[in-house]
Amino acid sequence: MEITMKKSLSYSLMAATTMLAASVFFTSCEKVSPQGVLMGNTSVDDRVKQSLVNYSFIDVALDKTLSEDVEEYSFLVGSDSHITIDPGRLSEMLEIGLEHDDLFYCHLGDLADTKAEYYHNTDLAISEFKHKWMDKYTRSETIHNSDGDVTYFIDDRTGDYDTWPRFRVPFYPVVGNHDITHNGWAMFSDLFKTSFYEFTVQMGTDGPTDRFIFIDSANGTLGEFQIDEIENGVFQRDEKDIRNTFVFTHTNIFRPSYNEFASTYCREELYFLLDKLADWKTTIMFCGHVHAWDDRMFGGVRHITMPSMNFVDHPNGGDDLLVRITVKKDGTYKMDRVGLYSKQRSKDELRNEGYHVDAK
Amino acid sequence: MLLFSASTAVAQYYSGDHTFDGENKNEISASLTTGKNIITGPCIGNTVHYKHYFNNHWSIDGGANLQYTKQMYGFKAKAEYHFKVKSFHMFASGEYMYNHYHRFNTNENVGNMSIRFERGYWDITLGGSLIGYNMMGDHYTEPLTLTFGAHATLRPRTNRWNVGLLFRNYDDFYYENWNINWGLDFYYRFNPRWKLFGEFDIRPAGSMSQLASKYETIGKVGVIYRWK
Repeated sequence: MEITMKKSLSYSLMAATTMLAASVFFTSCEKVSPQGVLMGNTSVDDRVKQSLVNYSFIDVALDKTLSEDVEEYSFLVGSDSHITIDPGRLSEMLEIGLEHDDLFYCHLGDLADTKAEYYHNTDLAISEFKHKWMDKYTRSETIHNSDGDVTYFIDDRTGDYDTWPRFRVPFYPVVGNHDITHNGWAMFSDLFKTSFYEFTVQMGTDGPTDRFIFIDSANGTLGEFQIDEIENGVFQRDEKDIRNTFVFTHTNIFRPSYNEFASTYCREELYFLLDKLADWKTTIMFCGHVHAWDDRMFGGVRHITMPSMNFVDHPNGGDDLLVRITVKKDGTYKMDRVGLYSKQRSKDELRNEGYHVDAK
Repeated sequence: MLLFSASTAVAQYYSGDHTFDGENKNEISASLTTGKNIITGPCIGNTVHYKHYFNNHWSIDGGANLQYTKQMYGFKAKAEYHFKVKSFHMFASGEYMYNHYHRFNTNENVGNMSIRFERGYWDITLGGSLIGYNMMGDHYTEPLTLTFGAHATLRPRTNRWNVGLLFRNYDDFYYENWNINWGLDFYYRFNPRWKLFGEFDIRPAGSMSQLASKYETIGKVGVIYRWK
C-alpha cells in the first residue's frame, strides 16, 4: 500500500512538473512572464476602466473637423515596433507622415519592450518629433486674461488647440501584450493615457464623418468590462452619420499561415468580435501581434494584419512595413504600403542623443 | 468485469478506462454544465453521449450539446481504434463536430484527428484540428491547429474513485487554438454499470503567447451507464 502511495505521489509530482514545464515551454516569447500562461499580472478590465476615466478627463483623441475644401486626408498605420534602445523606426514613421502630411498616426501595440528605459526612449522620440510637428502645423495665439497671458497652439487643419504642454501629437496607439508585461501598463498609460477610445474625422462641418475605434486586446481578449461597454453602446453613434469605421487592436483575428500564431480569442469571443465589426459597418479592421501580413475580406469587413516594423525582424527595413490609408471626400479609400529603411544606430550614437542604452 | 475486478487490486495491469470491458457494449452519459463566460454571462446546458464498442479495438461515439444561455447547440461523431504498443494503450480517433452559435448566427464545422497515449496514471493527447466557420455569408477555415492535452490522476484509472488534473486546448464540444483549458476532474464508480463523474475547468483567454485573463469557468457533473 505504501509503495502504491509513493508511486502515485511520484506520478502526480511528475505530472505537475510536466505541466509547469509545458507552461514555460509553450510561452511564445521570452519577454512574456511564464506565470502569464496561467494568469496575467495586469487586467484588461482594470485598464479599460482607467482608460475610460482618463478619456473623460484628458483630451487624448479629439474629434477632428476638416475644412470644407479638403478633398482627402490620410493616416499611417504601423505595428509591433518593440522599441528597445533605438526608437529609430518609430521616428522614421513619424517623419514620413510629416513629409506626406498625414493627418494622424495609428500604432497597433507592442510599442516598446516593457522596460522603463525603453518607454523613456519612446517618449523622447515622440517629444522631439512634437517640435517639428508643431512648427509645421500649428500657429500660436496668446490670450490675455486675469491670470496672465496664456499661449495656445492651434492646428488649423483640424481645429485642435491647446497649450504647448497639453497639445498632443496625433499618435494613437493601442496597447499590446509586450506593453503590459512586468506592469508595463503603468508606463504605457503614463504616456498615452488610454487603451480604449475613439474619435471621428468629419470632412467639413456638414460633411461625412469617419469613425476611428481603438480597443484593448493586449491580453488576447477584450475582457468582460470592455465587452459590456461595447454591448452597452459606448461606440454607438447615430449610424446614418457614420460613413467609414476603422477599428484598431493588437491581437489578430485571422492567422496569416499555419506557421504563424493563431488568434487567441476564444470561440464565442471570436464570433462576437466578427459580428460586432459587421454591426459597426467597419470598413477596415487593423490587427498586429503576429508580425505577418494578411489582407482578407470577411463579412463585408476588410481585415488587415500588419507586419512588424522593428529592427529585429527587419534589420534592413522593407518596402511594406507601414500602411497608408487615404480617404477621399466621396467616401472611397486607397491603401498604400509604405517602406521603412532606417538601420539601428550604435550605442554611442544613441547615448549621445540622450537615449537609454543600458537598460536594467 | 475484469476491468472492475482489477480496480480493487493493485494496478499491476491497466486495461484502460475507455476500452471495451468484455461485456457491456453500450455506454451512455449525460451531464449538466454550468458556469460563467465573459460573452454570455452565466451559462447552463446539457450534454449527452452514446458510445458503442464493437470489440476491443473499435468504437463509435455520438454526442449532443445544448447550451441554453449561450444559445448554442452542437453534435459530434467520433470513431476510435484502440491498440497496444508494449504497455501503452493507444487510441487513434477521427472526429467531426458541428456547432451552431445562434447569437452570432454562426455555423462551425470541426474535423479532428488525434492519438491518445494512456498509462495507469496519465494520458497525453496529440493531434490536429481543422476549424471552419460560416457567418455573414462568408466562410473561413483556419490553418491546421495543434490539438494537445495532458491528464494525470492521483490513483490508477482502475480505482473505484479518482481525482485528476488536466490541461488541454479542447473540450467535449470545442477545439481551441492556443487557449488552454485547466481543470480538475473526478469520478466515483458505484458498480460496473454506474459511474458519477465531474470536472471543474478554468478556461482563460490569451494563454500561451499572451497574459491570460479570465474567460470562462465551467463545472460539469454527470453519470455514465453501461449495458450489454
